[in-house]
Amino acid sequence: MKKRETWGKEFRKQLPLQIFVLSGIVYLLIFNFIPMFGIIMGFKDYDIVMGVEGIFTSEWVGLKYFREFVNDYNFANLVKNTVGISLLKLIFTFPIPIIFAVMLNEMKCLRFKKLVQTCSYLPHFISWVIISGISFQFLSSGGIINTLLMSLGLIGQPIGFLTDPDLYWGFAVLSDVWKEMGWWTIVFLAAIVGVSQDLYEAAQIDGAGRLQRIWHITLPCIKPTIVVVLILALGNLFGGGLSGSNFEQSYLMGNSMNKETSQIIQTYVFEVGLAQGRYAYATAVGLIQSAISLVLIFSSNFFSKKVSGMGLF
Amino acid sequence: MDRVRRRKKISLEDLLVDGVIYLLGLIILFVTVYPFLYVLIISFNEGVDASLGGIYWWPRKFTLENYEQFFNDSKWLVGLGVTVLRTVAGTLIGVLFTTLVAYGLSFQNLAGRKLYMTIIVISMYFSGGIIPYYTLLKELHLIDTFFVYVIPGALNTFFLMVGVSFFGDIPGSLRESAKMDGASELTVFRKIILPISTPFLATLTLFIGVGHWNNWYDSAFFVKTKELRTLSYLMMEVINKSMVSSGAGSATAQTASATTTLSIQTAAMVVAVAPILCVYPFLQKYFVTGIMIGSVKE
Repeated sequence: MKKRETWGKEFRKQLPLQIFVLSGIVYLLIFNFIPMFGIIMGFKDYDIVMGVEGIFTSEWVGLKYFREFVNDYNFANLVKNTVGISLLKLIFTFPIPIIFAVMLNEMKCLRFKKLVQTCSYLPHFISWVIISGISFQFLSSGGIINTLLMSLGLIGQPIGFLTDPDLYWGFAVLSDVWKEMGWWTIVFLAAIVGVSQDLYEAAQIDGAGRLQRIWHITLPCIKPTIVVVLILALGNLFGGGLSGSNFEQSYLMGNSMNKETSQIIQTYVFEVGLAQGRYAYATAVGLIQSAISLVLIFSSNFFSKKVSGMGLF
Repeated sequence: MDRVRRRKKISLEDLLVDGVIYLLGLIILFVTVYPFLYVLIISFNEGVDASLGGIYWWPRKFTLENYEQFFNDSKWLVGLGVTVLRTVAGTLIGVLFTTLVAYGLSFQNLAGRKLYMTIIVISMYFSGGIIPYYTLLKELHLIDTFFVYVIPGALNTFFLMVGVSFFGDIPGSLRESAKMDGASELTVFRKIILPISTPFLATLTLFIGVGHWNNWYDSAFFVKTKELRTLSYLMMEVINKSMVSSGAGSATAQTASATTTLSIQTAAMVVAVAPILCVYPFLQKYFVTGIMIGSVKE
């Protein structure tokens, strides 16, 4: 009782601050917490005409929609695309910024280094819509790359970079590397700059060459940063790793011709949910992916703590 | 003798390493810059002529017609207007809201702070997914209104956490002394805290602003009215239409002019990228702090 009194007193004393914070908390409760309850839609026979009350009053159907998704003819393909693109992105978009950062650090001409670095992170600030526009200018059948290759006589027919299902995965990974490489380099470069110069000097006196110094000093010293960034990337594996670009890419660059390899679970949720209006089913499908992602976040965090003693939470 | 040989060996490795990194640096530079340059070149070239291909470094038939068409088309102008408006309004609301909440939360002795922080962390990691979110927006009557651009994203939990740690680092004695003189909480915030928070405010403004400027999906999924569509959405529409036709060559020519939908699109792309290039130097100054706080701090 006494504690409550002091709490109330404290609260009144901090009234202006409490108003600031509470407005934010109420906002989060509305925009983040209420949709979380909407998840039960996935277990119910819900239709949009029922309105919000319908979420609670409609009939329970248990795992019906989950079963329907697993038995969908598209299921295997969707899982393959989601996992395949995500793993490929992890394999390429994660190490490349590290290599690039080491490379920049080795450049002695500071003006050139600054120029390369400054330009390399520009694409991070450009939206995927513009990137898809640029891709179209370059890679469509009448785009600059096809016309160049044809005028050189290297190919007879334009290559369908944007339409050939066999090429979508490669395109997704390459465009992601192009867009985000420079941005993630910043983190690694900042870590490299923090490495003590004494170590390099000592190694040089001992006769270690450039590559040896990179291998035995630079990389071990930035290991903590590498681990943290790796956890971040693993936690968001199915979102597209570091840049979280899977959905935007697939939605913008996917089309009726490369759908077979470009459609992933997130875009499927959109198609059946917002376009076809099958809310309950789409919620269930989305939930499967969220559940897997949560497991990924927690397990990567757990293993990282075990292996390196570091974690995000 | 031995010494000389060893030195020579090192310098050979040095030479090799230098050669490789500078060559790769040049390649990266070209690969990053040229796509933007190419779009700029095409935007100044006649559309029908550009669709024939073969332009690499300089406009072949120079024209300003693409830009004229862009700025004379009410569709593009309205899109540009909506984008500017949402960026300004959204950034103002977002920065103000995030800053105030973060400031309040930065007080360690705030009653209920633990509960508040728990709520924020949960909202950072969990979400109901897109469909329940959509039903919520619908229920709030935000769908198909301008407010759907500025209200739902007004509080960014990531920047909120950055802000809490930023304001938390300001020495408490600074605000205590002002309060002793009888200043209210709001005055302390306005007169003392805000002026010394420029780095945080600048980072926040730039990132939220760029986010609004680039955003396309709220326009695509939550808005149906044509007059409410953003620039990004309109560009997306052109690409989607061209994608299903066989390529740039078959882009529909506008009546009685040498422009094509695709060549006007390049002008739109230049217009959309230009503001980002303008704020880029400022972005650069602050974002290193931004990304570091976000990714390396727990």
